[in-house]
Amino acid sequence: MENTASPKVRFTVSALRPETITALLVLLATVLMMLIMKALNPTFGSLEQIAAILTTSIFLVVASYGQGLVILLGGIDLSIGVVMSIGGMIIAGLTNGSNQALVWAIPVTVLSCIAIGLVNGLGVAFLKVPPFIMTLAVATAAFGVALGLTAGSSQRTVAPALQQLMSARISGIPIPILLIGCFLIGGSLLQSRTAEGRKLYAIGSNLAAARIVGLPIEALTVAAYGMSGLCASVAGMLLAGYSSGATLDMGDPYLMPSIAAVVIGGASVTGGKGNYLGTFAGAVFLSALSTIITVLSLSQGWRNIIQGGIIVIALTLQTKQWYLQKMANRRLTGQGSPNRALSQNSKV
Amino acid sequence: MVMSMKQASREKGRPLPSSLFAAILYVVMFVIYSINAPSAITLGGITDLLNNTIVLAIASAGLTLIILAAELDLSSVGVIAVSNVLVATVSTKMPAGTIGSLLLVCLVGLLVGLVNGWLVAFLGLQSLACTLGTMIMCQGIALVILDAPGGEVAAFIMNRLTDTVFGMIPVAGLILAMVVLAWLLFRRTRFGIAIYAVGTDAVASHLTGIDVKGTKLRVFALAGVAYGLAGYLLSAQTGTGDPRVSNSFLLYVFAAVAIGGTSLGGGRGGVIGSVIGAAILTVMQKLLFAVGVADFYTNIFSGLIMVVAILFGNLSAILTLHQRMPLTRHGDHGYSAQ
Repeated sequence: MENTASPKVRFTVSALRPETITALLVLLATVLMMLIMKALNPTFGSLEQIAAILTTSIFLVVASYGQGLVILLGGIDLSIGVVMSIGGMIIAGLTNGSNQALVWAIPVTVLSCIAIGLVNGLGVAFLKVPPFIMTLAVATAAFGVALGLTAGSSQRTVAPALQQLMSARISGIPIPILLIGCFLIGGSLLQSRTAEGRKLYAIGSNLAAARIVGLPIEALTVAAYGMSGLCASVAGMLLAGYSSGATLDMGDPYLMPSIAAVVIGGASVTGGKGNYLGTFAGAVFLSALSTIITVLSLSQGWRNIIQGGIIVIALTLQTKQWYLQKMANRRLTGQGSPNRALSQNSKV
Repeated sequence: MVMSMKQASREKGRPLPSSLFAAILYVVMFVIYSINAPSAITLGGITDLLNNTIVLAIASAGLTLIILAAELDLSSVGVIAVSNVLVATVSTKMPAGTIGSLLLVCLVGLLVGLVNGWLVAFLGLQSLACTLGTMIMCQGIALVILDAPGGEVAAFIMNRLTDTVFGMIPVAGLILAMVVLAWLLFRRTRFGIAIYAVGTDAVASHLTGIDVKGTKLRVFALAGVAYGLAGYLLSAQTGTGDPRVSNSFLLYVFAAVAIGGTSLGGGRGGVIGSVIGAAILTVMQKLLFAVGVADFYTNIFSGLIMVVAILFGNLSAILTLHQRMPLTRHGDHGYSAQ
């Protein structure tokens, strides 16, 4: 571990990239949190409860994937909550308790939500409106349209098939958990192993360089926001299936956690850093946290205080871990100027 | 070299401030509003409008400082909620409740700001995420202090701060004028200039000898005090305490800053723009109500106006670019990032 950086040591460092370590640590923290809970309250922690925690994490796991792609570009998507609600409302409104309607209702729902995402992307990419404002404005407007169309009242029942999807099991494992697994693998591959995914990293870490290289920045930006709309619509449909109905504000509680999940997972809000395993870990962590806190018999105020505090502590640990990793890398490779360290620390 | 060209452009004459365009937009909207609601140009109407503007304006003024230093802060709604419930619970019970609760909320804001600043500047956390944490904690604290809407705000705060002085000047207008004046003096101080420098390039600022961490810490502290003040004024408007300040208010605070021409990337913009941005967002809602737009269309128009306001600001950037130096982009107060 001294200055004699043998190839073997280098290999171990590169095999466990800092992003992966962050993700594993966050997952470890989640397990630790559950164990502490188990120690405090022995009735907690049955297999059923853990399955329930994982099942309810699917909404955040799916929604934060889109958020992660957008943040990877250095943007932000504030429309996720509204799009989730709209996705749920459309699927509930169109199917209205019938399974036959699903065949065309799902494409309609997904396409409408992608359209909202594309509007976001077009505004950001071509009109150069800051993502913060563009997505907020589109969310506000889309909410208005949804409110107008539904008159704020209709709460129909979702197709039973969608409800069964959220509650059924295949050989003892709840389907949502299997879906999470598939989504994690598919999402990770798309983000980290495809050319288009790597281009997002390139754009996010250095826009000017990406432009010089000739990457299709506008097209990829629009695509990332479109993906975010897609993920939010899927999350919304699953949420509607889980709660067997939809309301216009059911997605709102997921907006801020979707950002927090991405950041806890090791991404930088300025873009170019982070992977989906991290975001996934962040999403599971936050979902588990909010479920566990509900188990505690505390008032809402104290639950909020604990939840906020744990988010801050998680971030602190994560940052410390990055710092240690950086130090280790510098010692091993002799690279990494103090200036870079400073700029990374203070520019974020 | 870029530096010297910037210097030159400043000496020739400052580029058009983007807040000017926001101001034009405001005037246009206000004129349309007053045509549709003639009571708008009476003293009562103006007082009312200013009263509705001021909470958003003060909160976005605080956020502006943080954004100028290239950080983000979500804790505003948390601090506003805490100070609102504090004023509603203590202002009638403690002696000298008006001043006492004012000091208390400023102290609370300062404390939260210092925590945020310490986490961001000294522990190196990402400001967006860690202020999300402190925001949730503050909302929790507000709920612990007052678990349901209620409480009572001292009558003096409620009546005097929403009224006029000498029967002609709205108090809210006076407070806004004081904020603007304070900003005009503040931005020329060492600390004020350091905020722009840190927001433009933290590494360069550090190398020039600016205390980057200290500047950020103080910026968060100052913004925290502004949020506390905003919460105090909110209590004066509503007269009661409500532990749940909606998250949509938070988004409006950000929108006000952006519409005012402050770049969300830091280093460009100013408080005056944000105050105008807050005024635009407030008059927008009044205008849509006065015109008689149905409730759900209000949202659609709000979204549209936000985007138009931003594009309007971009227009100023383009015009400035063509008129002045090709190398500098628009900037409110000359310290433009290239």
